[in-house]
Amino acid sequence: NENGAAVKKFKRFESYKRDNQFPPRVRDLAIVMDQKNSTVVLPIMGRPVPFHIQTIKNASKSDEGDFAFLRINFLSPGQGVGRKDDQPFEDASAHFVRSLTFRSHDGDRLQDIANQIGNMKKDAVKREQEKKEMED
Amino acid sequence: MARPNDLTRESFDNIFLDLSSSSGRCRFAENGFGWKPSGGGDTFTLDASNIGGAQWSRAAKGYEVKVVLRGQVASLGGIVMLDGFVLEDFERLGKVFKNWYSTNLEHKEHALRGWNWGKGEFGKSELAFNVQNRPAFEIPYSEISNTNLAGKNEVAVEFSLPPNGDDTGTNGALGGARGKGKKAGAGKDQLVEMRFYIPGVTTKKEAMEGEDA
Repeated sequence: NENGAAVKKFKRFESYKRDNQFPPRVRDLAIVMDQKNSTVVLPIMGRPVPFHIQTIKNASKSDEGDFAFLRINFLSPGQGVGRKDDQPFEDASAHFVRSLTFRSHDGDRLQDIANQIGNMKKDAVKREQEKKEMED
Repeated sequence: MARPNDLTRESFDNIFLDLSSSSGRCRFAENGFGWKPSGGGDTFTLDASNIGGAQWSRAAKGYEVKVVLRGQVASLGGIVMLDGFVLEDFERLGKVFKNWYSTNLEHKEHALRGWNWGKGEFGKSELAFNVQNRPAFEIPYSEISNTNLAGKNEVAVEFSLPPNGDDTGTNGALGGARGKGKKAGAGKDQLVEMRFYIPGVTTKKEAMEGEDA
């Protein structure tokens, strides 16, 4: 900007262009990791719903009674805790999905998904940084 | 008795009714449609007079026909979902709905961008989350058990679920179909809660107070 400070810009991303690009496993109404498209596909009321890794903040697994729970937190405005909220948004006046929580009897699988989401996020951040360094 | 022929009936196999665990055969006729689980059991039927609309979209098993209900079928929760059609079925089904139920089978394309921002809009029987004017997903009101204001600008929506995973919470006679209040229990991973960030309310109030000052 005018003061010479780096302004974070929002960069557009897209999971799919056509509905035949979903991984075949979305049939099972289960969470599906699509590494190729940097996307997590979540079953919501019988429909596979893609969420690009760039919308995801983190994911964590917990146990309660007979069930394991996976909570996926998404990036949304007003979450800057203790520091400046400099996350860029295309439209900060929109509604945002802030979190989704799923339950399953298969805790190991939910832990594995949480790990995979963490790794996918790390890779995405690394790629962004590499791209930025190339541009500089 | 005259036997039904091809002109009075359209039949489709491997169709899932309301996220049912097993598939069945779906038959359409002038007076309505029926779904019979392939493993045997009771047949679900819906009278043509209860069909208020129909949408065609990509779903989990294949393509879905979502029938919007009208009239005295409130116990079904406003919609009936039929998943598992193939792309080529669209034309045949379009004729079924147009000729027999005087309804357009509306092609509803869903948002595939993978964005988590958009606009929540309240329809007749569902809450739709629209991304660039296309629904990313819909939540039938019948599946919501509770909502609350979880924080500043944050709304939590909780879903109805059977108390334990082994309880299908369904009418086994309908091939494990998940009617009103049971849909989130289908599948391996069951949606428990969804939180939305809804901006504006507080900001607007603050802005107005700012103007007054």
